[in-house]
Amino acid sequence: MNCELAHERIVLAAYGELPDEQVHELERHLTGCPECQVEREQLSALAAAAACHPVLEPPANLTARARLRLDEALDALPPKRWYERLGGRLMNNMARLQAAPVAVALLLLAGTGAGAIGGYEFAMNRAAHVAAQAQVETLAAPQAPATPKLDEVANISSIVRQPNSNMVEVRYNRVVPQRVEGSLEDPAIRQLLMVASGDANSAGIRDDSVGLLAAECRAGRSCNPAGIRDALMTALRYDRNANVREKALRGLEPYIAEDMRVRNAVLEALLYDNDARIRGEAIGLLEPVEADTTVRQVLSAVATSDQSPQIRNVSRQLLSRVPEIQ
Amino acid sequence: MNGSGRAQERLRDRAPEMELIREAQAGSRAAFDALVRQYEQQVLRLALHLTGSEQDAEDIYQEAFLKAYRYLGNFRFECSFYTWIYRIVTNLCLDQLRRRKTRREEQAVVVDHSGDEIDLLASVSDNRSFSNPERELDRKVLGQHIQEALGKLTPRERMVFELKHYQGLRLRTIGEMLNTTEETAKNTLFRATKKLRAHLAEMR
Repeated sequence: MNCELAHERIVLAAYGELPDEQVHELERHLTGCPECQVEREQLSALAAAAACHPVLEPPANLTARARLRLDEALDALPPKRWYERLGGRLMNNMARLQAAPVAVALLLLAGTGAGAIGGYEFAMNRAAHVAAQAQVETLAAPQAPATPKLDEVANISSIVRQPNSNMVEVRYNRVVPQRVEGSLEDPAIRQLLMVASGDANSAGIRDDSVGLLAAECRAGRSCNPAGIRDALMTALRYDRNANVREKALRGLEPYIAEDMRVRNAVLEALLYDNDARIRGEAIGLLEPVEADTTVRQVLSAVATSDQSPQIRNVSRQLLSRVPEIQ
Repeated sequence: MNGSGRAQERLRDRAPEMELIREAQAGSRAAFDALVRQYEQQVLRLALHLTGSEQDAEDIYQEAFLKAYRYLGNFRFECSFYTWIYRIVTNLCLDQLRRRKTRREEQAVVVDHSGDEIDLLASVSDNRSFSNPERELDRKVLGQHIQEALGKLTPRERMVFELKHYQGLRLRTIGEMLNTTEETAKNTLFRATKKLRAHLAEMR
C-alpha cells in the first residue's frame, strides 16, 4: 500500500467506512510508516477541534416559532384539488411504467405469442366440435343445470317459473345465448337470479328475479345474509323501478327484527325513497322494532318532514305508542 | 440476524410512516403534520449548525416543509422518506451557503432571532472546562478556529463534512442525498478533511 492510498484510508477508517480487511492492511502499513502515523494524529487533532463546535439541540423557542410559521403558511395554501391529486398519482404510475419498458415489451411479446397459439388451437377445436354437433343434433331432455361461471354471464335474458312447480327457467347470455333450468333451491339458479337482480338493462328481469328471491326469503328458505339478503338490500336501495324495490322490501320483512343491516336498509327506504308507496310500506314493517333508538330517530324525522301527510301521521302514531311499549 | 431479516425489520419499523405518507399524499393535513413533527428537530439541528443563524435555520425549515408538502405526491418510496426530506434540506442549505459565499458574509458565531450572538461553547456542558478555565478558553479559541476553517470549504465540501462528521450519516446515504455517487462523496470528504487540517495548521 502506498502512502497516498493510506491517507485516504485513514480518513475512511476514522469514520467507520473502511471494510474490515482493509483496516487490518492499513494497521500493518501504519506500524512501519511514521509519515502516515503523523497523518492519523493530525486527523485526530481535527476531530478534537471539530468537537469544539458541537451540534446543539435547537432551542425550544426556535422550534415553536418555526412550527407556528409553517402552520400559518400551510393554512394559507389552497387545498389540493382532486384532479391535482389524481394527476400526481397518474404521473407516479406513468413513471413506474417508464421504469420498466423492457419488462412491458417482453410481456406484450409473450402475451401476443401465447394468444396467437392459444387462439389457433381453440379455433381448430371449436370447428371440429361444431361439425360433430351438427351431425348429432338431438332434442334431449333437459339435463341437471351446470353451475354457470358468473364471469361468463353477459346478461340474463328471461326468467320463467313453470306453473304449479318449483322449477324456474333462467335464460342468460354468454357469447351465445344459454339456457339453464333447475329448482329454486339450486345454487346455480339462485346465483343467476342474484345476477339478474342487478341487471341494469331490463326492469322486467330485475322484477322477476327480485320477486322470486323475495318469495324465497319470505318463505324462510336459505335467505342467507351474505347472498340473497344482500341482493334484496341492494335492490331496495338502488333499483330505479319502484315495483322491484317494493318486492325487495317485502322479501326483507322477516329479517327486520333480527338483522341490523336489513333494518338500516328499510330505514333508508323510509327516509329517502322517492315513492310514497314504498315509504308507506316501509313504515308499516317497522312495528316490531319501533322501540329501537335509530328507528325512533328516523320516525321523528319522518313525522316532521315527510311529504306525505299519511306517512307523517303513521309516524306520529308509532312514536306515541313507543313509551307504552317500553 | 441476517440481511433479509434486518431488511424486514426495517420495513416493519417504517410501516406506520409509510401509512402516514400515503395519507398525506391523499391530502391529509394531520398526517403531514405528524411527518413534520417526526423530522423537524433533525432539520433544525442540521440547518442551525450549518448556517449558524437561527433566522436562516427557520427559513430553511419553512421552505423545506413547504416544498415537501407541495411535492409529496412525487415521492415514490424509492428511497426512505428520511433521505428524501434531507435531500430537500441539504439543497436549501447548499443554496444558503453559496449565497453567503458570494456575499462574503462569513459568520463565525451563531446569531439568534434578534440578531444577538450566541456563545455556543458556553452552553456546552463540559465539567472539565469548569474545573479548568484555561482549558475552557482553549476550547473557545479552537471552536472559533474550526468555524473559520469550515467557512473556507466549498459549500459541497462543507455539506459532506457536516453530514459525515456531525450527523454521522453513511457515505452512501450522503451520495443519495446530494444526487451523487458514494465514491464522489468519499473524495469530497477526503478533500474537506485535508483542507480543514491545512487551515487549522495555518492558524496555529
